[in-house]
Amino acid sequence: MSQNYKSVFDIIGPVMIGPSSSHTAGAVAIGRAANSIVGGAPDAAVIRYYDSFAQTHKGHGTDYAIVSGLLGFEPDDSRVPEAVSIAREQGIGIEFVEEEGDSPIGHPNTAILEMDKDGRKITVSGCSIGGGTIEVRRIQMDGYDIRPGGLLPILLVEEPGQGQVCEDEVKPIADMLEQAGVLGGRNESRNEQKGTTMYAFDLEKPLTQEALEGIARHSSQISYIS
Amino acid sequence: MFNSIKELVEASERDGMPVSEIMIREEMDRYGETREAVWGRMEKNLDTMDAAVEKGSTGDGVFSQTGLTGGEAALLRDYRKNKVSLSGDVMLEAVQAAIATNEVNASMGVICATPTAGSSGTLPGVLTALKRRLDLSGEGQVRFLFTAGAFGMVTANNAMIAGATGGCQAEVGSASAMGAAAAVEAAGGDARTSAEAFAIAMSNLLGLVCDPVAGLVELPCVKRNAIGAGNALIAADIALAGGTNKIPADEVVEAMRKVGSNLPVSLRETGIGGLAGTPTGQGFRKTIFGK
Repeated sequence: MSQNYKSVFDIIGPVMIGPSSSHTAGAVAIGRAANSIVGGAPDAAVIRYYDSFAQTHKGHGTDYAIVSGLLGFEPDDSRVPEAVSIAREQGIGIEFVEEEGDSPIGHPNTAILEMDKDGRKITVSGCSIGGGTIEVRRIQMDGYDIRPGGLLPILLVEEPGQGQVCEDEVKPIADMLEQAGVLGGRNESRNEQKGTTMYAFDLEKPLTQEALEGIARHSSQISYIS
Repeated sequence: MFNSIKELVEASERDGMPVSEIMIREEMDRYGETREAVWGRMEKNLDTMDAAVEKGSTGDGVFSQTGLTGGEAALLRDYRKNKVSLSGDVMLEAVQAAIATNEVNASMGVICATPTAGSSGTLPGVLTALKRRLDLSGEGQVRFLFTAGAFGMVTANNAMIAGATGGCQAEVGSASAMGAAAAVEAAGGDARTSAEAFAIAMSNLLGLVCDPVAGLVELPCVKRNAIGAGNALIAADIALAGGTNKIPADEVVEAMRKVGSNLPVSLRETGIGGLAGTPTGQGFRKTIFGK
């Protein structure tokens, strides 16, 4: 069996604004993941829908849900249904595209978010697997192409150098995650131009605030997607 | 961690604990949380469910923006008061609460997804009826949700709970089976009887397609939750009477997965086939979205 659903609250929950857990609450979660990766709301976003998302996003409120997440709202925030107009009032360019082909990440509930933030281009590919649970299957940014395991939480750590040099740099963090019993999988991507490496750690459960602060002491280049 | 319903039943029998207790301890162990924290979080979910039932059943009820659904929980409330119902008041209380919840969901109100928003009325429907029928305490209501959650986790991990991957059988079908299992525990039945009720309920809804008109979680979703709740009570009663499904619960989950994978895309939450594809369904889509 898979272990995609680990907590009873993945099944009984979340508390959310309707109408769909996969197309609304899950879409908020994809937007929130993108917000964590970008480091706040983007300056502009093109949201590409595939398969079921492309067919039914209007009816399910997927548009306002994803934008709510980009703005950092919780799924039960009463502003969720107004999120698209709130974003536009803040000057954030938002565009929705219904794609006709199959999902590039192989799931019927796929949204690919192409975002601009302070001149950077960041693309996050997410899918909503049911009941509000999501996966982030691909992140493209700053010359990296990262393919995490998918399920949240994910910890991204950027280290200077490549090969053994940054292995040594990242080792204390990997050890901390291992000791805390939260380390699932691990993937990495190199930026040949910059000569740096991005690590994506798939975590079995959320990090405590204390653990997160401990990790931040080892590296300033982290983002935690939960 | 239990990987199957068989393991869940065995754990309950081995440890002499109800399924709800196994789920609570599993959650505490995995996340290193206190019993109070885990319990409190579930109580908050219960409060959300009760509030949605109340909201949808008050006054004229609530209506969605499209006008496709709404107000029928209030109709049922009045019908129960003024007429002699055919299926009895316990059943209709479940039906009213289920419809109220999904009407609130369709009107972009706050609900608790159990396991999904589209199927969010089924468990509150069963629970609302049991509250009065069994004089179920607050503690019993919270335990109901943990038991339902335990059976739901096995279903979600071994099959699916999204309409887009498995059809409505994966949403309302799963919710109904979870509710049947939890209803048995609430009525004093053991884990093995819960598993039978689960298997009966899921078997009854196997093959149910996800065909939302205009892609909206309204038609037929709202009333499918009424059937989910009713089916759960019926399955629980059959199991408590000693009836068995013959096909074990885990095999039913596997059958659900296979049926779900084999459903055409048009019947998996794309708003293309089934009721969505009828002339009237297409007409609603055109009126609402202009295409």
